[in-house]
Amino acid sequence: MRPFATDAEALFPELTLRIANTLARLREAQGVTVGCSAKRAVWRCGKTTLYQYLPLAEAPPRVRARPVLICFALVNRPYVLDLQPDRSLVRRLLGAGLSVYLIDWGDPDDADRCVDLEDYIERHLGGCVRNILDSHAGAALDLLGVCQGGVLSLCYTALHPKQVANLVTLTTPVDFHTPDNLLSRWVRGLDTELLMRSGNVPGEVLNALFLSLMPFRLTQHKYVRLLAGNCDQRAVEDFVRMERWIFDSPPQAAVALAQFVRWFYQENRLARGTLRIGGRRVDLGEIRQPVLNLYALGDHIVPPDASAAMQRYLGSADYTGCGIDTGHIGMYVSRKAAHEIPARIISWLGQRQ
Amino acid sequence: METPFTSGAFRPDAAFANAAERFFELLKSFGMPSAGVAGAGGDWSSLAGPLAGQFEQWLKTSQSAGPWFAAADAASPGFARGFAAAPSFGPLPLGAGAAPQQDAQRTWDLVARLAQLQGQLSAHWSEIASRAARRFITRLGTAAGGAPTLDNAMKLYELWVNCAEESYAATVRKDDFSHLQAELANTSAALLVEQRRHAETLVRAFGLPTRNEVDALYAQLKDLRRQLAELTDAPRAKAARAKRPAARPAGDKRRARRRKPRA
Repeated sequence: MRPFATDAEALFPELTLRIANTLARLREAQGVTVGCSAKRAVWRCGKTTLYQYLPLAEAPPRVRARPVLICFALVNRPYVLDLQPDRSLVRRLLGAGLSVYLIDWGDPDDADRCVDLEDYIERHLGGCVRNILDSHAGAALDLLGVCQGGVLSLCYTALHPKQVANLVTLTTPVDFHTPDNLLSRWVRGLDTELLMRSGNVPGEVLNALFLSLMPFRLTQHKYVRLLAGNCDQRAVEDFVRMERWIFDSPPQAAVALAQFVRWFYQENRLARGTLRIGGRRVDLGEIRQPVLNLYALGDHIVPPDASAAMQRYLGSADYTGCGIDTGHIGMYVSRKAAHEIPARIISWLGQRQ
Repeated sequence: METPFTSGAFRPDAAFANAAERFFELLKSFGMPSAGVAGAGGDWSSLAGPLAGQFEQWLKTSQSAGPWFAAADAASPGFARGFAAAPSFGPLPLGAGAAPQQDAQRTWDLVARLAQLQGQLSAHWSEIASRAARRFITRLGTAAGGAPTLDNAMKLYELWVNCAEESYAATVRKDDFSHLQAELANTSAALLVEQRRHAETLVRAFGLPTRNEVDALYAQLKDLRRQLAELTDAPRAKAARAKRPAARPAGDKRRARRRKPRA
C-alpha cells in the first residue's frame, strides 16, 4: 500500500509539460509593469516623497470632498495599492471622485541611519499632512494608514487630532502582545541597542524574516499551486506583479527600526499608553474622530486580535471594525479584497463627508 | 548560500523551478512501495523516513538563507578575506585582518557562536521534519491509494503542506526557539558591529570622518531642525487658530458620554 495506487511516474509526463509551460509563462511575464495610475511628486523630505494622483478623466474630484492621504508601511513599497487597473485601491478612490495622495518613504541609505520614528511621524508624515492642508486650504484631511503605516497614522492622529477628520486603518496592529503573534515572540529578545549600532537593515533580511513565519507555504506551496487548474498568461502576470512587490522591500533606517521593535513589539507601548514621540505622550484616547479599521482574519503577520484590539483604546464613539476573510497579502492583492475593501472605504467615508 | 529569496533581483521563475523540483521529489516518495504492509489500513511508516529526510534537508538549506544568516553572510565574506594570508597587493585589509589580535579573537568567537547556534537550530529542524512526516502518515488514511493523477497529487501535496506548517508552527512558537532566534539575530548583529568597528579603525587612520562622527553631526542637525520648526510653527499655528475655531469631531466619545442619562 502506498499514497498512489500505482507508480507515480505515470504522472510525470503531464507534470513535466505543465512545469515547462508555467516556467515559460513566468519568464514571459517578468517584464510586467507595476503601478498603473498617473501621479506627480508634490513634496519631498529626505528620501520621502509625497505623490498626488491625477484625477481620472471619467471621475473629476468632488468639489467639497476632503483629500485622502495614504500612509503605507516603511517595510514595503506602496505601489501595491495601485498594482494594476483591476486591483488598485488608489484607482477606486479616484473613481469615487476623491483627491488621493500617497507617501513613498523611499530607500533610506547610510545618511538616514539615525532617522527615527519622531522624524518619520512628525517631519515626514506631518510635512505631508501640512502640505496637503495648505494646498487644499482645509483644516483636516482623511488619513488612510496601512499596516505599519497605520501605526504611524494612529500616532499622528493622536498627536494632531485636529488635522485628521476621519481615520481608516488597514491591517494595523495595536496590541503587539496577543498570544498568536509569532513575529512579536521572535523579536521580543532582540538587543535593539545592538540592532541600532549594526546599521540599516537590508530589505532582504526583513523579507526572509516574514517568509520564515510560514516557510513551506510561502516559498514552496504558492508556486506549486500554479501547476493546478488552468493558469493562463494573465493569471501568471498577476502572480508575478504580486511577487515583485513582495520581494521589493526597501532597507530600514537603523534607529527607526530599532525603536519600532522595542517600543511596539517588545514593550507594547501603544496599547499600554506609554509611547512618547518627540517628548509627547501618544494617547489613543485622544483619537475621537470616526475610525474604520479593516483587518484580515487569516493574517499571519498582524493577527486579527492585534488589530481588533484598537477599539478598546480609542476615544472615538464612531468606530467600525471589520474582519475580511483573507490573509495579510490578500488584503492588498486578492480579487475579493480588490472589490470589498475599496467599496467599504468609499461608502464609509461618503457617510462622513 | 543564495536562493531565489535572498538574491538581490528576485526571480519568480527560479523560485518556481525550485519548488517544482521539490514537488517532483515528493511525488517520487509517494510512489515508493512501503516496506511492510500491515492490515487493510496499510503501513506507510517506511515513507516517513524519506519524507522527513527531504524536509529536513530543505529546512537546513532554507535556514542558511534565513533572516539572521542573511545578515551574517553580508558580514562574513569580509571576515573570510581578512583571515586569509595577506597578499602583498590586493584588497584593503578590511574586516578582522584590519583589527588588532584581541579584536580578531572577538570576531572569531562570534563566528564560532553563530555556528554553534546554527547547530542548535538543526536539532529543531530534525524535530519538525520527523513530526511532520508522522503527522502526514497518520492523516493519509483514505486519501491514499488513488490513481496518480494531478488532482490526487495536489490533494496529497496540500495535506503534506498542512502537516509541515503545523509541525513547524508547533516548534517555532515555543519559548526556547524564540530565544534561539533572538540569540542568532543578536550574534549576527554583534558580528556586523565588530566589522564596522574594524572599518572605523581604518577610516580613522586615513583621517576620514567616522560613523560616530557623522551620527553626531546628524544629531546636531536634528536639534537645529527642531529649533527652526519651533520658531516657524508657533506663529503659523497661532495664525491658524485665529482663522478657524476648532470643531469637535463627530465621533467624540466624551460628547456621547455627556448625552447618557445618569442612573
